[in-house]
Amino acid sequence: MGRLRVLGWQALSVGAALLAWEAAVRVGLLDAAFIPAPSAVLRALAATAADTLPRLGDTLVKTLLGYALAVGVGVPAGLVLGSRPVAHAVAMPYVVALYGIPKILILPWIALIFGIGLSTAALSAAVFAVFPVVVLIAAGTRDVDPAIVTVAVSMGASRAQIARKVLLPAVVPSVLTAMRVAMVFAMLGALLAEMLAGNRGMGFQMQRMALAFRAPELFAATAIVSVLSISAVLFLEHLNERLGRWR
Amino acid sequence: MITGAPIVVDGVSKRYETPSGPVAAVESVSLTVRPGEFISLLGPSGCGKSTVLGMVGGLLRPDTGRILIDALPIAGPNPKKVALVFQDPGLFPWRTALDNVGFGLELAGVAAARRREIALGLLEPMGLKGFEAKYPRELSGGMRQRVAIARALALDTPILLMDEPFGALDEQTRLLMGEWLVDIRRRTSRTIVFVTHSLYEAIALSDRIAVMTARPGRIKDVLEVTLPYPRVLDAPEAVDLHAKLWAQLREESLRAMDGQQ
Amino acid sequence: MRIWLWRALVLLGALALWEAAARMLNPILYVGPSRLPAALGRVLATRDLPPLADHVWITLGEIAAAYVLAVAGGLWVGFLLGLRKTLGRIYEPLLAALYAVPSVVWYPSLMLFFGLGPASKIAFGVLLGFFPVTLAVLAGIRQVPATLVTVATSMGAGPWTLFRKVMLPAMASTLVGGLRTGLALSVVGVLVGELLGARSGLGYLINYAYGLMMTAEYAALVVLVAAAVLLLDGAGSLAEARVKRWAD
Repeated sequence: MGRLRVLGWQALSVGAALLAWEAAVRVGLLDAAFIPAPSAVLRALAATAADTLPRLGDTLVKTLLGYALAVGVGVPAGLVLGSRPVAHAVAMPYVVALYGIPKILILPWIALIFGIGLSTAALSAAVFAVFPVVVLIAAGTRDVDPAIVTVAVSMGASRAQIARKVLLPAVVPSVLTAMRVAMVFAMLGALLAEMLAGNRGMGFQMQRMALAFRAPELFAATAIVSVLSISAVLFLEHLNERLGRWR
Repeated sequence: MITGAPIVVDGVSKRYETPSGPVAAVESVSLTVRPGEFISLLGPSGCGKSTVLGMVGGLLRPDTGRILIDALPIAGPNPKKVALVFQDPGLFPWRTALDNVGFGLELAGVAAARRREIALGLLEPMGLKGFEAKYPRELSGGMRQRVAIARALALDTPILLMDEPFGALDEQTRLLMGEWLVDIRRRTSRTIVFVTHSLYEAIALSDRIAVMTARPGRIKDVLEVTLPYPRVLDAPEAVDLHAKLWAQLREESLRAMDGQQ
Repeated sequence: MRIWLWRALVLLGALALWEAAARMLNPILYVGPSRLPAALGRVLATRDLPPLADHVWITLGEIAAAYVLAVAGGLWVGFLLGLRKTLGRIYEPLLAALYAVPSVVWYPSLMLFFGLGPASKIAFGVLLGFFPVTLAVLAGIRQVPATLVTVATSMGAGPWTLFRKVMLPAMASTLVGGLRTGLALSVVGVLVGELLGARSGLGYLINYAYGLMMTAEYAALVVLVAAAVLLLDGAGSLAEARVKRWAD
């Protein structure tokens, strides 16, 4: 099946689903108080448009701050763990264990210390995003082809030169993958913190609308965040493609 | 014109630690390589020929004995004197052929323009003109190995060590690469130590052939090859040499197979 | 052997650091490991907190329900999209796109629809646990070696036999991996749901403690839940290893 036909069917399916949804609400099959019609959601989108941008910006700032922190800590940590087998053997079980613990458990505590707002959300984003970064980059560093390292050693490369000219470029694909994954996790952490202990941002908005039973506004906010996230991931995937011509 | 440097391997041995205890890879290996000669190390699998090469290249340290290059003991990789080529070309996938060839020069701090000049100068006679901007992924196995050899040649060292460089290539490519290596050899006078398990290659390329025993490897015999280039392998002297080599090698190969239980 | 020593040292070092830091800082906000056993005792004694056991059962029930539904749904959608190639080509990318959305955005809508009771937590657990199972089925189907299928078909195997005797065994280890991840995520889903707004369950209990600034009890509960999750995942990992040994 050609790409165009697949796209056509996808668009058709989504369109049909939306139409069926709209019809179901109008007919009364779905209770509009719980599941608003797409038209109502669109209207809510328009109505809240003015406030949406600052809210989105707020969430984005927290996401990006946390993301930067996670990458800044996680990439070197992953590189170190991946390039030193002893460190890897000793530390990795702990990293995996911590990764497996639901991080939301410590969010209340972070909120207790840092209060409601930006710091908590940014820190939360960082905590969520750092683990996949460390794990993915450690794995990528370990998988560097030993043959090319041998070549560099045989040519008299110093440790620093090997790290800079061999390990680093070899690890770039893993770094890009990790950064893509980390983005979703960072956003997750920021939104979660906003829902749990926030006073601004999209997460807070969604929680507030849910508790106030304002379904159209809630769905509108959900749609906006979803589109933002999907766009970010698509962009990072595109970047991944462009930077990896040699693979 | 490069002049090759002499190599002296004196009573060298090396052990490896395995889960079932230490295993001697090579024992009391002694060999003198004359400056500018092409010598092959021929032996059965596991005889330690790659280990010997690794030690001459400064990648492994011998447990006993010493190795002298230009009458000086070695203490690690020496990119000014020794360049290595392995069976796996080990090209950096994110660098073009040109940048791969220039790698060693980059490490040594050579300026970019000069690196480009040298690299192009090496790639052209190898038939890779026009491929310098290609990535390893876009090159065939034979081309990649040529780039790897060019990368080693770029260091302009008096000694070139090659560890079964054509082992992963198909027969025809291997034959062509052999011819081409002979050609390079005629144009420079580097010392070349060539590890192989192919009698054909050893006879076609070398001035001398050192035969190694099965593990633990020792030098069993060193034969001179006085055939003129280009070598015609069904000439009587060649056939004779082949028989002599095989007689020695066969014994060791059987021993190696027995030892592999 | 030495690695175990280092690992133990790292753990002890971390605990010591934690204890030292907690003692130096505000005891209301920072709880060192030494205070945890006593706090746990208080939690179990049901003194200032609702009874632990009741809420544990509620949470476990929610997890069980969520997981069963997630696996059922995941297997069904996974096989549907995996075995019917045209459907797969159309809908798998859409599914993958949804995976790019942080799962928590769906929770407020679930809360609106299902209310604050266990239903919304189960629904969220199902949502989270469903994806890994589906993706594992799809990946598993894809990595069944085509040669195996060809050989079996040439020996006269019909579609059901093919499925049972060729595909399932070949997919087994990937599938178990997905089931394990699905469990972990269902657990997370239920816990997140409870923490974000509930009237019962472990998450509710944790919020209760935190709301009353009973930081020690809160910490004890967190350690308890974390340990339980790790144990559960450990069991899952053992099960996966058992299947892998048998399947490969």
